[in-house]
Amino acid sequence: MGVILEGKGVTKYFGGLAAVHNVDFQVQEGEIFGLIGPNGAGKTTLFRTIAGIYAPTSGRIFFRGQDITGLKPYVICRLGITTTHQVVRPFLEMSVLENVMVGASFGREWVTGETRDVRKEAMRVLEFTGLASKADVLARNLTLPDRKRLEIARALATRPTVLLLDEVVAGLNPTETLQTMQLIREIRDQGITIVMVEHVMQAVMGISDRIMVLNYGEKIAEGSPQEVATNPQVISAYLGTSHAL
Amino acid sequence: MRAARILVFLGVLILLVLIPVVGRGTYFQHLGFLTFLFIILSVGWNLVGGYAGQVSFGHVVFFGIGAYTTAILWLRGIPQLLTIPLAGIVAALYGLLWGWPCLRLRGPYFSIATIGVGEATRLLALNLENLTGGAGGLTLPTPEDIHFYLAGFYYLAFLLMVGSLLISAWVRNSRFGLGLFAIRMDEDAAEALGVHAFRYKILALLLSGFLVGLAGSLYAQYILYIDPGTVFGFSMSVNMILMPIIGGIGTLWGPVLGAVIFTVIQDRIMTLSLNLWGFSFKLVQFHLLVYGALLVLIILFEPRGLVGLAERVHRRISRWRQARAVIETAG
Repeated sequence: MGVILEGKGVTKYFGGLAAVHNVDFQVQEGEIFGLIGPNGAGKTTLFRTIAGIYAPTSGRIFFRGQDITGLKPYVICRLGITTTHQVVRPFLEMSVLENVMVGASFGREWVTGETRDVRKEAMRVLEFTGLASKADVLARNLTLPDRKRLEIARALATRPTVLLLDEVVAGLNPTETLQTMQLIREIRDQGITIVMVEHVMQAVMGISDRIMVLNYGEKIAEGSPQEVATNPQVISAYLGTSHAL
Repeated sequence: MRAARILVFLGVLILLVLIPVVGRGTYFQHLGFLTFLFIILSVGWNLVGGYAGQVSFGHVVFFGIGAYTTAILWLRGIPQLLTIPLAGIVAALYGLLWGWPCLRLRGPYFSIATIGVGEATRLLALNLENLTGGAGGLTLPTPEDIHFYLAGFYYLAFLLMVGSLLISAWVRNSRFGLGLFAIRMDEDAAEALGVHAFRYKILALLLSGFLVGLAGSLYAQYILYIDPGTVFGFSMSVNMILMPIIGGIGTLWGPVLGAVIFTVIQDRIMTLSLNLWGFSFKLVQFHLLVYGALLVLIILFEPRGLVGLAERVHRRISRWRQARAVIETAG
C-alpha cells in the first residue's frame, strides 16, 4: 500500500479569493479518505481541481507518482480517477442502464483478458449498486436517492482506481444514508480508493480511515476520526472559539 | 404484423424504383429526387444538431461547398462522378476549419457563431469571382440525353439517401452515438466519465458535413446551375433545421419523416392560390409564417416532433386496449 494520490501546495484562486490555499495531502491506496470542513471551506473546489475541471493556480497533483496537474477531465477519468457531482447530473433522457453504459464504454481502458461487453458490465454494476430492477427506467423518472445511487453506479462503471465522492449522502434519510455507507465500504473492499467530501458528520466519521479538515481553504487538521474530532482547531472552526477547550 | 410491415416496405421500395421507368422525366420523378435530397440534408444535420445536440444554423455552407466543389472541378475537366466524393471531402474539411474554433462554444453561443459562418461563407462565394463566378453563378454543361441523365440522378440520390440512413442508424447504435447523446444531455458529466467531448463533436460535424456536401454536389449536377444566393442561402440552413424538428429531432426516422412532409408542403401547398372573400393570394407569400407557426406549435406541444406524437398515440391505444381487456375479463 503506497500513496496513490498526492497534492503538493495545491492552491486555487478565484479572482483575489483563495478558495484553496497551499494544501498538501496524501491519500493511501485502499483507504477511505474523508474531506470535511464548514461551508465554503474549499472542499468541492479541491475536488474539482483534482478532477481536472479547474486547473490549480499553483501546486501539483500526482497520481501514482505521475504528475496529472492541469489535465482535462476526460483524461483524468481515463487514468482511473472518477468524480461524482455534488448536484447529481444523470443523462435525463437515457435509461438507467444507458447512463451506466456511458461510464462503461468510456472511462478507464479495459484490462486485457476482460470481456469487453459494455451492456453486461453495466448490468453487473447495476446489480452491485442495487439498481438492477430499474435498469430500463428513464433517469428523469428516478427519485433523488436513486439518482444519487445512479451517480455512484455510473462513476463505478468507468472502472476507477480512485473514486471521488462529492456529498453522496446529502439529502438522504437515515436509512438511505446507512445503505449508501455500506455501499461505499463494499466499493472500498473491491480495492477502490475512496476520497469523499461529506457534511453528514456521523457518516464520514463512521466510515473514514483518515480525515482532512479544511477551513477557509487551508488545511487545519488531518488524522483518524478520533484525532480530528478532538482537535481544538476543528471544534473552533465548526462551533466557534468559545467552545474550544 | 411483421410480415405486413415488410410487405409495405417492399411495396414502397418497388414503387420508388419504378417511378423513373414508368414516368421518365415526370413531375413525380422530380419530386422524388428532391425528397431524397432533403432526406440526406435532414439526416445529415441531425447527426450534429440531433444526436450531439449542437444546433447549427450554418449547415448550408456544407451544401454550398459541395455544390461549388463539384461545379468548379467539373468545369475544369475532372470526371463528373469523381467530383461527388471530392465534394463531400472538401465540405467535411471546411467543417474542420470552422468547427475547430466554433465547437468550443456551447449551446446558443455555438448556434449564433454558425450563423456568422454561414453568412461569411456566402459573401466569400459572392466575391471570389474568379473561382465561383460571383453573383452570376456557374452554369454547367447540359447533358445530351437529359431524361436519361435525370433518371440516373434520381437513382443516385436514392442510393445516397439509403447510405446516409445506414450511417445514421450505425451512429445511433454505436459507442460513438452513446458518447454524442451523453454530450447532448450534459457535456460536463460526459467528460467526467471519460468522453472526449470536443473530438466527438468535431467527428460528428465532419460526418454531417460530408453527407450534406454530397447532397450539394447532387443538387448542382441535377439543376445544372448554381449561385451563392441559392446554395449558400440562409433559408436553406433554416430548412435543414425545420425538417428534423418537424419529424422528431435526435431520432432515426424523424428527420426522414420531416423531410418528406417538408417537401410536400414546399411543393404542393405552397404553390396553391387561394380565393377567400374576393381576395386572391398565393400561399407562397406566407411560407415563413406557416413554418414559424409550425415550429411554435411543435416546440410547445410535442418537442419530439411527429415521432414523439406517434409514440404518444401508440401508448394511448395500447393502454386503452389493456383497459378493455381488463374490463372484459372482469365482466
